[in-house]
Amino acid sequence: MPASPMPEAKPDLEALRRAQADWQRETLDPALARDGERKDAFTSQALRWPTERLYTPLDLEAIGFDYLRDSGFPGQWPYTRGNDPNGYRSDLWTMTQVTGFGTGEEWAKRARYMLDQGLSGLIIEYDLPTTNGLDSDHPLAAGEVGRAGTAIDTLADMEAALDFDFTGLRHLTSVCNGPQPVNLAMILAALEKKGVDPSSFTLQMPNAILIEYTCVGRYLFPPEHGLRIATDVIEYTIRNHPRWVPIAVVSAQLYAARANPVQELAFSFAIAMQYLDSVLARGFHVDEVAPYFSFITGVDMDFLEAIGKLRAYRKLWPRLLRERYRACRPESLRLNLMASPGTMSLTLQQPQNNIARLAIQMLACVLGGGGRTMTTPLHDEAHALPSEEAIAVGAAIQHIVAHETGAADTVDPLAGSYAVEVMTRRIEDAVMAEIENIDAMGGALAAIQQGYFQRELAREQVERNREIEEGRRVLVGVNHRVREERDRGIELFRLDPESERRQIARLARVRGERDPGKVEDALERVRDAAERGENLMPAVLDAVKVYTSQGEICDALREVFGSYTPDSLTTGV
Amino acid sequence: MSPGRPLRVLLAKLGLDSHTIGVTVIARALRDAGMEVIYSGLKQTPEMVVATAIQEGADVIGVSSLSAAHMHHIPRVVELLREEDAADTLVIAGGVIPEEDVRELQRRGVARVFTMGTETGAIVAYLKDWWESR
Amino acid sequence: MGESLTLRVRNGHVASGARLLGWLEDGDPRGAEALRALHPATGRSQVVGVTGPPGAGKSTLVDTLVAGWRARGLRVGVIAVDPTSPFSGGALLGDRVRMQRHATDRDVFIRSMATRGQLGGLARHTGEACAVLDAMGYERIAVETVGVGQDEIDVAALAHTTLVVCPPGAGDGIQAQKAGLLEVGDALVLNKADHPGADAAERDLRELLHLRGASPEGWQPRLFRTVASRGEGVAALLDAIEAHGRHLRETGGFARVNGRRARRALRERVLWRVEERLLERAQADPALGSLLERVADGSLDPYTAADHLLEAWIPTPHPDPE
Repeated sequence: MPASPMPEAKPDLEALRRAQADWQRETLDPALARDGERKDAFTSQALRWPTERLYTPLDLEAIGFDYLRDSGFPGQWPYTRGNDPNGYRSDLWTMTQVTGFGTGEEWAKRARYMLDQGLSGLIIEYDLPTTNGLDSDHPLAAGEVGRAGTAIDTLADMEAALDFDFTGLRHLTSVCNGPQPVNLAMILAALEKKGVDPSSFTLQMPNAILIEYTCVGRYLFPPEHGLRIATDVIEYTIRNHPRWVPIAVVSAQLYAARANPVQELAFSFAIAMQYLDSVLARGFHVDEVAPYFSFITGVDMDFLEAIGKLRAYRKLWPRLLRERYRACRPESLRLNLMASPGTMSLTLQQPQNNIARLAIQMLACVLGGGGRTMTTPLHDEAHALPSEEAIAVGAAIQHIVAHETGAADTVDPLAGSYAVEVMTRRIEDAVMAEIENIDAMGGALAAIQQGYFQRELAREQVERNREIEEGRRVLVGVNHRVREERDRGIELFRLDPESERRQIARLARVRGERDPGKVEDALERVRDAAERGENLMPAVLDAVKVYTSQGEICDALREVFGSYTPDSLTTGV
Repeated sequence: MSPGRPLRVLLAKLGLDSHTIGVTVIARALRDAGMEVIYSGLKQTPEMVVATAIQEGADVIGVSSLSAAHMHHIPRVVELLREEDAADTLVIAGGVIPEEDVRELQRRGVARVFTMGTETGAIVAYLKDWWESR
Repeated sequence: MGESLTLRVRNGHVASGARLLGWLEDGDPRGAEALRALHPATGRSQVVGVTGPPGAGKSTLVDTLVAGWRARGLRVGVIAVDPTSPFSGGALLGDRVRMQRHATDRDVFIRSMATRGQLGGLARHTGEACAVLDAMGYERIAVETVGVGQDEIDVAALAHTTLVVCPPGAGDGIQAQKAGLLEVGDALVLNKADHPGADAAERDLRELLHLRGASPEGWQPRLFRTVASRGEGVAALLDAIEAHGRHLRETGGFARVNGRRARRALRERVLWRVEERLLERAQADPALGSLLERVADGSLDPYTAADHLLEAWIPTPHPDPE
């Protein structure tokens, strides 16, 4: 890309330097002598980088900023200013909200209701036993069946969950991860039974198991096998259901585990590239695979960090794809990013303050460019169940930012701000350095196996907690302007114990009615495929069709792969 | 810290709850306060936790619960301690626990419940006071 | 009370054993009392030391050894050692995370111990803890060391069989470390053998083993490739550990190790008690007390002071005049 061809438009930097020195001596120093500063050091929230008093064109000069090379125009390389040439002027982002909990039938009922109301996108989440590859009657499942999401033990449960009219459905997100092949197989089998054409809608599966290892989440097998299974799902989906999206890198989970923006981006990109390498090894070309990748993130309260992070995010992915993979198509290069206000700075104390926090973060998302879909967390979700009022407030926040601030009416309005460009570049450089560090370890999988990500996150968690307890990081209502409050108490979704019993009974019934010989054979084939390194999907699909339970399939895989105990807390600080 | 030896605390995560930021932060705070912190990992049943506590001679069991299945597991821990004749082990809990559950847990033998947002210093102080008054 | 505790310990009562371990760690005199009574019941267990650098997967390996021993009907004790923080005196003890599938097995006893300032890779009372587990009837006792450096050879004096566990590693640093540890290993374990670099690591380790050769009693240490997380290669390792145990018993090595441990325990005990006594006397005896003060304020050098102290307490034996 050529450098900007208008030298006479550049300020005379020497004159600027002299002018700044004069300003410092004549205007600033007397003010400082009189007023001092309210802090000994000003640093950014998460990255703890020094925040300068003033940013000027001299700072752009210092980073060698070049408009065309570093910012360019939206909708094309380098994508810093946005992936859409017209920003939000053609369409606002899709405003979404959390759905709810419940059993298969309850979810289907809500799905029918939401589709009737004109929504075309649904999200199905699963309970903890399901995402851990355990059946509802496993001892560890007690008290958890159907609580954090839907319980899916066998195909029968998936058939119940998908028992609605698919005509109006455009998009279904199935948030599974660990036992993703089983989940995908059950969805396919259920659709087949319903006579629904899979290509009539888009199924999105995060399938982002590697992130789960870093933040101690829900995984089943050692990391190298988790990666292999995720790759099986991606390969199978690309070959058989190309409209479906088999991967989403949920970097928001890293954020939730206290990763700072540099860690979040570096770890996420390293993990994304690990998937990419794994899939490419099966005979694909990068431009066939990269378009499927999407990233989901949250922003935090530090305004400059939030905006810099989104812009750096958008700039780095195309850079990595082009430099390392020689990707060419815009569909490959464009970062598919969903950014939303994050929850790490929301407080239990004085929850109404969170409305302000969410509004500020929402504004940061729009100014930084949060992508085509955004969600607002609920301001009182630390202690309350979703209420209509909280949902209405969350929706209003999005609409106020969209319609009352003008922020969505121009593309990337803070580009050119000296502070924003410096922050964007600093994050970009630091992320690249960290990616090279991870490369030296052997890549994301090796880093996970060595416990590197886990250690880094543990360090951040401890440090972040200390900062708050020692008052070095201000949280209004927690360590600043603390007020006596009525004990708010915490509302929790109460599970109906009957529903757990019913689910276990249904599982027993399905087990009683199926052909045990076929199940045995199917499990044998699953183990075989696992041992031989074949794509697991065909064997798993056959297994679910004869009503093998997901716990049984996962146990068979555990026999071959082993299970995985995460690193102990003794790693790290 | 009396009685002249480090307090031994077993930090436990019961069931399928896989949130570890709480135990990560608290483990280090207790360690920095001179305590020996035993961590038994994820996916523990009450039986495993109590057996561990007895083998380890734990003075305290601290259960961290962020997944709402606490009423299932924590009272069972207290019950098992009694059955194993180890009822003088202090049981404390922390996490996302509603007020009416806090009262019920205390009624059933949990000494203190520290809801989310409690400073680690408060937990350390509580344990030190308890230890010193033994 | 003490006597019935001893009886319960000999009967394998877990809570009593745990209480006794606590007394020993805390220097409670009831601990020594009980050990005295339990001494005749010790000397039967085979102690297997597990040492190696961090990241080798020692805890996972111990977990699979326990499973293997249990499958062979043996009762197993485990002592997992982690470092005490020099700043706070506290410790994070997380090794048993990898062994928790055995938590409710009544024939497995896992105890985490902090070093409490002791160097050498073990906690101060690890030897005594082994004696307790021995008396309780655990036929195999795995002792997992701290695992941070090549000075961790105290375990060799304690264990009948020492395993040195290494991961496939990069660089000469690991090799040097292994070379030091290799002096003491009865078996060398290349764990995480499915990771890249395993073949190269195996070649290096075989060479070091070759240089070392067999022990004077004829035991040739061998190399074992394992993937402990999947239990691969562990059966062969277990066979070797059992074979080593038999070898020791047949050649008198078992008794020799026990004797060595007993002498070491004696020496440790004497030195600790001497230090204790000295401090007690210094507090009670003003002359001794003032000696210490004068060293502290610099008016008397420590060497002279040491001579005075010892002379006052344990006079130098003078030969009888002829």
